[in-house]
Amino acid sequence: MSISFWEFFIHPVLRAPMWGCILMCLASSLIGVPIFLKKRSLLSESLSHAAYPGVIIGVSLFALLFPSGEEWVSIAVLIGAFISSLLGLKAIEWLEQKGKARSDAALSFVLSVFFGLGIVAASAMQSTLPVWHKQTQMLLFGQAATMSDLHIAIYGAMALLVSAFLFLTFRPLQASLFDRNYSISANLPVALLEKILFWLLLISLIVGIRSVGVVLMSGMVIAPVVAARQFSEKLQTVFILSGFFGALSGLLGNYISVIGSISLSLTLPTGPMIVLAASSIAVLSLLFAPKRGLVFRMLRVYAFRLRCLEENLLKAIWKKETAAFSDLKKDHQVSSMALKYALYRMKKEGWLIDQNKSFSLTDDGLQKGASLVRLHRLWELYLAEKLGVQGEHIHNTAEEMEHILTPEIEARLTDLLSDPTTDPHSQPIPKRRAR
Amino acid sequence: MIDGLQMAVLSLVAICCGTIGPFLVLKKMAMFANSLSHTILLGIGVAYLIASHLWGGALFDLSTLLIGALAAALITALFTEGLVRFLRLQEDASVGLVFTALFALGITFVTVFTKNVHLGVEAVMGNADILQGSDLKSASILALLNVSTVFLFYRQFQLGCFDQGLARTLGVKTGLFHFLLLFLAALTCIGAFRAVGVLLVLAFLVGPYLTARLFCHRLPWLIFWSSAIGVLASIAGVLLSRHMLDFYDLALSTGGIVVVLIGLFYVAGVFIQSGRKIITGSALSRRQDRR
Repeated sequence: MSISFWEFFIHPVLRAPMWGCILMCLASSLIGVPIFLKKRSLLSESLSHAAYPGVIIGVSLFALLFPSGEEWVSIAVLIGAFISSLLGLKAIEWLEQKGKARSDAALSFVLSVFFGLGIVAASAMQSTLPVWHKQTQMLLFGQAATMSDLHIAIYGAMALLVSAFLFLTFRPLQASLFDRNYSISANLPVALLEKILFWLLLISLIVGIRSVGVVLMSGMVIAPVVAARQFSEKLQTVFILSGFFGALSGLLGNYISVIGSISLSLTLPTGPMIVLAASSIAVLSLLFAPKRGLVFRMLRVYAFRLRCLEENLLKAIWKKETAAFSDLKKDHQVSSMALKYALYRMKKEGWLIDQNKSFSLTDDGLQKGASLVRLHRLWELYLAEKLGVQGEHIHNTAEEMEHILTPEIEARLTDLLSDPTTDPHSQPIPKRRAR
Repeated sequence: MIDGLQMAVLSLVAICCGTIGPFLVLKKMAMFANSLSHTILLGIGVAYLIASHLWGGALFDLSTLLIGALAAALITALFTEGLVRFLRLQEDASVGLVFTALFALGITFVTVFTKNVHLGVEAVMGNADILQGSDLKSASILALLNVSTVFLFYRQFQLGCFDQGLARTLGVKTGLFHFLLLFLAALTCIGAFRAVGVLLVLAFLVGPYLTARLFCHRLPWLIFWSSAIGVLASIAGVLLSRHMLDFYDLALSTGGIVVVLIGLFYVAGVFIQSGRKIITGSALSRRQDRR
């Protein structure tokens, strides 16, 4: 049996889980942004676990009161989870402020004790309400497949609530995230805003429990914003990207889980799949994002190092007029590979001629070398004359500065030092060439 | 008989956790222990795969568990550190990202290879009723290992907690002992994994320490009382669980009860402490002033 991709969105059985996952992940990934910027990501871990006893007790009470109302049990799940997460939040706040426990100790203590309470309640339920117990067990790792259209209505509404709040309070939220003290002095309701923010975190956590599960819910708060942050420095863009990545992981996770169970006959739980999708996106972004990603950062570092090496080689050959490969290697202490590559590139640029393993400069190369030496000596003179720096330091600093000085700075330096001809070591400063 | 076994295993777990828990909390590594408790599932999965292919080891052999602990500690530490150092992610997010991703991977791994969803649930919940004599053996080995390591290297661990700079000046290899602590924590999580499940170990690591911290301030006593409170909660928990089963016919999770008791001990401790402060508060503060 094969299903086309689009049928996931319209098929009467498949559409509820799909839209449910997308909406839930959207809510949690949006609320993840302010939580991430406040550096409280781990709070979501404790709070999602703290929801577990509430879920169990809520469902048990519901089962005792309305034994035939199975369709509406998710309301009981939501209310129970909300109350117990809220208690968890209060307990963490108390431990951190009054109990003088460190934040991490408070978080893990509340997490495990609440979860322990949940396990005790669940074991009691197992023997007394076995059918309902099975339903709650699903919520540990999430199960999207059994969702109905009614669920989408409930969860969708809550996801919209979270998004709408963030949209409407964007300005004050932005101010309080970036400069809390300024916002307080500007009479913004910062304390209220923060309180509501934590409440919204609770809501999006308990909403997500249905699809991602208690144990992994925090992943959906953390991973999308980690990915989004890699691409932008603007808060709006981070919000939009984070929501997009979250919704995308919801979609992919659910898709893989359903496809896995249909065509590969594997029972892949939805929650872990969604979290795996989200964290893959996060890891890929951490590695490959254009500006902040590791790969491009490393590439930029290597490109700069290569440029420095090339410029140092130019200078060395300029001073000696010709140089052998072995001498260059000895003086610059780089691997033969890097040296060969740098020389190859310089040849291609037309700065260098290779005559029987001895290198000399072309006219272009001589010009370039002279201007580098000029920058070096100008900077040395500037340090010695204007800043009064003495001795060894000036050479080493100039070695670094010569690669960064721009023509504008060169012109200013020339003016400032009134077009000098010799540097502090009485070496001639090459004339500036007219371009 | 089974009650005695449960008490013994849980108490040994409590001693394991009581000896290293204070160091973990003092080094602000409690959430890191939480990561470890999630990632050992992947560690065990990987170790099982290696062990069963190379020498036909079973899932709960001591060698499998040792490799699993080592793998989990290494993976967690490397990834979390790597994200912070090379990928420049803030620390809270990197801890959270690593353990959720690895746990999701672990669950998928376990589900795919064993075709059994319940193993995942059981790993999280623990089940004290399936404990056997072999569990007692491995728990005692672990407890012995933890206690003797902490006893042997007490100075180094203590210095590592309070003054890394001083430790390095005195020639202590702080990195090595940091990793040793991680490894012990991973081992402890694995040892407790069958009895109380991966998540409740955290309560054993942190709860008794927080309770002990209300009353005493010196590290050796903290270690002693953390273990003692854990043992007390374990014994009381098993008794309570038995009582509920016998009198109310209600089978409750023993591990869960023990953890709830640890939580209640802390609450009781806070009340006792605040009561004491009200009674002796003025006298105490006067005495401190004189000092």
